[in-house]
Amino acid sequence: MTTFAIASRDELWLGGALVESRLMHGVATQRGDSIDASDARDDELVRACDLAIDAARAAVASFRDARVRIVVRATQNGEVETTMTIAVDGVSVVTTPPDALADYELLHRVRNGSAALRGAIVWQNGSAAVLLHEAFGHASEHDAAPVAWPSWLSIEAPLVSRRETFRDVPLLRMARLVARQTDAPFVMPDERIEVQLVAGGAYDPMSDMVTVEVAVSSAGPFTMRRSRAEVAASIAGASGEPIRYPGVICSREGQELYVASYAPLMITDGLL
Amino acid sequence: MTEVYRKVGRVIRYENGIVIAVSESGEAFEKDGVFQARPFVQKIAQTRALTPSAIAYVEQYVAQVRLSVRSGRIERFIASAGVATHEINGSNWSEESRRVHLSLVNRPLRALIDLASFDVEIIKAVADALARVGAEREVKRIRLAPNVSAALLPSLIGELAMEQSGGGFDGRGQRIETRAVTHDPPPNWYRPGYAVRPLRAWMNIRALPFGRIDHDAPIAIALLEPIHGTSLRVLCIDGDDVFPTTVDGSHIASVSRAEPVWYPYAAGSFGVEMML
Repeated sequence: MTTFAIASRDELWLGGALVESRLMHGVATQRGDSIDASDARDDELVRACDLAIDAARAAVASFRDARVRIVVRATQNGEVETTMTIAVDGVSVVTTPPDALADYELLHRVRNGSAALRGAIVWQNGSAAVLLHEAFGHASEHDAAPVAWPSWLSIEAPLVSRRETFRDVPLLRMARLVARQTDAPFVMPDERIEVQLVAGGAYDPMSDMVTVEVAVSSAGPFTMRRSRAEVAASIAGASGEPIRYPGVICSREGQELYVASYAPLMITDGLL
Repeated sequence: MTEVYRKVGRVIRYENGIVIAVSESGEAFEKDGVFQARPFVQKIAQTRALTPSAIAYVEQYVAQVRLSVRSGRIERFIASAGVATHEINGSNWSEESRRVHLSLVNRPLRALIDLASFDVEIIKAVADALARVGAEREVKRIRLAPNVSAALLPSLIGELAMEQSGGGFDGRGQRIETRAVTHDPPPNWYRPGYAVRPLRAWMNIRALPFGRIDHDAPIAIALLEPIHGTSLRVLCIDGDDVFPTTVDGSHIASVSRAEPVWYPYAAGSFGVEMML
């Protein structure tokens, strides 16, 4: 028998004003293939959420032009996770309170360009983590057949049992994705599209296709859709240490979970 | 604080091999422009134990479906049976619900089935057709089966003559009355869960019958992708021939007069055979 207990607070702020506030709590007990779940309250978890959301609210007040969703989740193993989704002019990042200000400023700094959509892609700001989240992480969740990744690339994406709420069935999901390069080639291509922020992505286990929706790039927003093997073959180089990408809320089976994501500056060629 | 909405619910859900029984009660209200939702403690304690008969009911349906579909063809299978009571503005009502979501695969195709009843026949029909699907074909005239037309209907609001079917209450406790569906703001409010801020929506829409259905025309029996705008990728049967095709659903040539069936698309959609 296993027991899972959770409390969460979820707030939506528009232009510095609170517009929606939710409290959720519950307990799920699993015996074999059966789960009995109810909205039982664990006061300690609710208190942990209250403390954490107070800290997050302090950052929100100054984001006057943003739509901010704060989600705090406290689970019985003592873990308290605070995520903030900050959107300005339809472009969003997912961050945590310590990085919220820097990521809010990033949202104001990045600009879409109008370059022709051709050449290599340079994945800035750790955004290659989203490409690898779909092509490596989700493929691992679905036991996809191996494809040939560059020998200089290592990807750490451990799968652990996770669920969004007490109402949900736990699934093996990524907790984080960290991509690293060791002595990777790196030559900045003359003809390139520079990706700053990504709006979303998907992996279809049936077709083995990877989709990434780019939100901000030197060529403006665009959608890339390629097979997993093509994605792996396209990775042409990387440089530097893994960079924290501000934002992966991963949705699978209707359950939205935060996945911390890091990747070095990376080049792909042949995806456009 | 003005109106307080309360919901007490219990659902048994089968989800890809796991049966989960969920009991919860929640309330939602608006205060100073802030929508708030939280669990609430019921005055009368509700049983928290699993109900063997309810679980058996769901499990029996799951077993029937699995028997009707070749193993390996089911990619995703969720079936649930629930009961809920609602209270707002002095109105109280209760409802029972059944929901089924199934995706069946025959690479590279995936058929999507969403139902509000524990129907096995429709699943068997789609599974059988998917197993013998042939090459892509184009069609000029096509019938849409009720489960397909119901999925399309929300995309045709304001474009096709349809009405909101009266009966029951909306998310704010107002009676749902039969009304013509137009581009105007809907009179009713849809609240898919207690923690979701209600939105104006046309509820339980149905197309008004007109024209004549050609029963010799090929029939689309399942979606192969979620609908994008009015573009439908569907699994189609024409005599002994089964094929995938993509059609534009923006022009409806006729709507059957048969009794419609309710499907869980948008804020409720009645499906009936339609022709493009």
